[in-house]
Amino acid sequence: MLRLAGIIATAAIALTAGCFAILGLAFSQHGVFPLGTLAGPIPILTLVLGVTPLAAPFCAILAMLGTAIAIWSTQRGKPIDMVLIAAFMAAMLLVLVARSVALFFVAWEAMSLISALLVASHHERRGVRRATFVYLVVAQIGALCVLAALGLLAIQASNPSFAAIARAAANLSPGTRNAVFVLALLGFGSKAGLVPLHFWLPRAHPVAPAGASALLSGAMLKIALYGLLLVTFELAAPGPISWGIATIVIGVLSALAGVIYALVDHDLKRLLAYHSVENIGIVVIGIGVALVGQAIGNPALAALGLVAALFHAINHGLFKALLFLGAGVVADEEGTVDLERLGGLWGSLVWTAPLFLIGCAAITGLPPFNGFVSEWLTFQSLVAGVLAGDETIKLVLLSAIAGLALTGGLAAVCFVKVFGVVFLGSARCRTQPRPVERFGGSTLAMGLLAALCTLLGLIPMLAVAPLARIAGAVLGALPIATPSLPVLPATLAILPLAGALFAVALAARRGVRAVPTWTCASPVTPSAQYTATAFSKPARTIFSFVLLPERHRQYEFATRWFPQRIVYHTESRYLIDEISRSVAAVTLRIARRSRAMQSGSLRLYVAYALVALIVTVALAR
Amino acid sequence: MLVLLQVVAVAAFAPLVQGSMKRLRANLQGRPGPSPFQPYRDLAKLWAKEALQPKGISPLPLIAPGVVLGVALTFAAALPLVAAPGGLDPVVDIIALAFLLALGRFLLALAALDTRSAFAGMAASREMTFASLVEPTLLLALLGGAMLGGGTKLSLLLTAPFGLAAALAFAAFFLVLLAETARIPIDNQETHYELTMIHEGLVLEYSGWQLAMLQFAEQVRQLSFFVLAAILLPGGAAWWMHLPWIIVLVGAIGVTETMFAKLRLFEVPQVLTTAFILAATSIVLRVLGMPV
Repeated sequence: MLRLAGIIATAAIALTAGCFAILGLAFSQHGVFPLGTLAGPIPILTLVLGVTPLAAPFCAILAMLGTAIAIWSTQRGKPIDMVLIAAFMAAMLLVLVARSVALFFVAWEAMSLISALLVASHHERRGVRRATFVYLVVAQIGALCVLAALGLLAIQASNPSFAAIARAAANLSPGTRNAVFVLALLGFGSKAGLVPLHFWLPRAHPVAPAGASALLSGAMLKIALYGLLLVTFELAAPGPISWGIATIVIGVLSALAGVIYALVDHDLKRLLAYHSVENIGIVVIGIGVALVGQAIGNPALAALGLVAALFHAINHGLFKALLFLGAGVVADEEGTVDLERLGGLWGSLVWTAPLFLIGCAAITGLPPFNGFVSEWLTFQSLVAGVLAGDETIKLVLLSAIAGLALTGGLAAVCFVKVFGVVFLGSARCRTQPRPVERFGGSTLAMGLLAALCTLLGLIPMLAVAPLARIAGAVLGALPIATPSLPVLPATLAILPLAGALFAVALAARRGVRAVPTWTCASPVTPSAQYTATAFSKPARTIFSFVLLPERHRQYEFATRWFPQRIVYHTESRYLIDEISRSVAAVTLRIARRSRAMQSGSLRLYVAYALVALIVTVALAR
Repeated sequence: MLVLLQVVAVAAFAPLVQGSMKRLRANLQGRPGPSPFQPYRDLAKLWAKEALQPKGISPLPLIAPGVVLGVALTFAAALPLVAAPGGLDPVVDIIALAFLLALGRFLLALAALDTRSAFAGMAASREMTFASLVEPTLLLALLGGAMLGGGTKLSLLLTAPFGLAAALAFAAFFLVLLAETARIPIDNQETHYELTMIHEGLVLEYSGWQLAMLQFAEQVRQLSFFVLAAILLPGGAAWWMHLPWIIVLVGAIGVTETMFAKLRLFEVPQVLTTAFILAATSIVLRVLGMPV
């Protein structure tokens, strides 16, 4: 009953989101499509609702993911999670249609709190409670930054509605404008998982149930980016060039850090969460190019950057949801998401495995899937920016091109590892064969997402043409033309696809004789297969200056010379954890010193208050 | 139609280039060496043989040779040769090319992991990791010349003038080429020792006509890289300069392979980093419009 109610509510919200997406797109030439206004008891509490063109792509993400997760939940997940997911979807949709400060903030907080409930789903585990706590702290500090940014804007405009704030944006002083930007970057950036405020994400996302992880990574991070776009392109626009440069630098750092940490992580869900940091970084690079384009008075460049960013946001929503749902199936069927304990799942998960492969290819940016197109567009926007900008911009964008290329290459390493270790070869720990997976709700949901990844990859104009219209509505210019785009993915795919068919046909006609694997005449055992730890070893060595790996080796000797067993354990330390740990240590030390002032006597505290008052008055005069 | 001719031409000469390199290297090392036409015979012999394969759990090992061949032929079709400005050049630009090459590598590495062989897994790990370090260099080395012409098309390389920056870009690309074609000092095509193999380890389990497809694809990809390198050299814009420059490159690689030993695995990243710095310097010089 509970499950059914949740599924129907989620589907209904997804449908509403879909309608909003179409509305936003259809009215893109006229700005906001108003949904209603509710006058509050005091002006600051006025609630305004409306669909903007900028919100339309994000509504589309909610619509697609909501549908997929509703279908998925017919088969898997706890009923209570489904109700929470419906509420979570509703809160996210409310953020997208909020057009006044109070409503936006309330919806934002609802989104954070409901998602915290989802993260805490398995609260009986200690690590989960810890992750939820970290998430709540970061979410609340971020929310305060968001409130401060929006409040500052509302005070300047003396009106809490976004429309009025946007009208007054031109009169903002540079100081206020920059303060708003920094606060928005902290508030929205921490929610989106941008480096260095990403550390909560790989803790919180993996512990949520699969459907919730898919929404957290696939949709909520995008809502945070919507907030950033809202402030930088509407409420506090136009920004100076430094905004764009700061955004690009943060984007590149996030992309690289995300992928490097993902590479050495061997928990399937946590690794996917790190890839969210990476992909959000790629989206943010596009946003940065858009900001740069706007600042240097090149709206076509800005529109290209924005289209790339929005398209990658949609794409990441699709393939990341697909991968998290796939990881959910693996967790359900195998009881673990530890890469070192899995293997050979293609044999039993006959539906999930090929669909997961499509997700891996899409997130790696392989043609002809959707990730390829949006990454290609991001590169194009960077190249166009290098050609259009001054020296500083040229150097920053060139570094971004190199960083993005490295990110792409490392993502390929990581997903070869993931797919090869989890689905190919033979099982590492399990002995008896599992039953073969049947087609059902969960496979249908993943099939839907995989089909969308392929469709948007093969026919990218389905998404790029509407996004170009939206960019036109937001920035008043059409993106720089990329005439080859409509046929590019198909051109790249046709010969490899023909080759694959040819190879399969030939194998069917001529036959391929099955032989044992060559292992220098030693027996072929599952434990002889390359492991995930081994696979990521070269990368761990090359990036040891970031990863600070620690190795522990233990030999157990049976005779004097020959070890019977070697236990090898390696762990990466996290730079950000090390830094925060030292900050915490310093804070604690200061707190301990200041204890001398805290005698607990009431009279002393009154004296402190009086001294503080006198000092304040003296300073104020 | 011209683009078809271009692919056929590259494909027809690709084994000959491989054979000449082998012969030259043998001669430099004081051995008579096989005839330059030996690769044609090898391919024909392998093609006629039956394929043996450890039974993978997925169809990926079965389809990988076809995909890799498709990728190599698309690469050959995208070269800005006779077909420019027609052919694939308006569609497949430098950035798309990098993604395309990743596609073939991705599938081959997965196919290797499906064989359950530790050697193949090791090779997959190394190949993918080094490729990720090569990718930024490849992009920067090629984009510098193209961006002078205001875009990302491969044919824009034909119009880029030669100078110090172009020479740096070529040097970087040459190192990329050594890595991509599995040459000493980065890799060794001739090795018979599984632990040192990178690229050869990936295809260790292939035999017969499947191996023929993979070897042919490697040769086509190699010649395509040579053509791109020739275009980066002075006068490379003229089509009749490609052949002499390719001969020079074959010689240069033969000498490199004879003079150097294969590097230890973890020294390879240093070579690749050097290549990256060369490419980055070159593109910065070019993009900032320094008079070089």
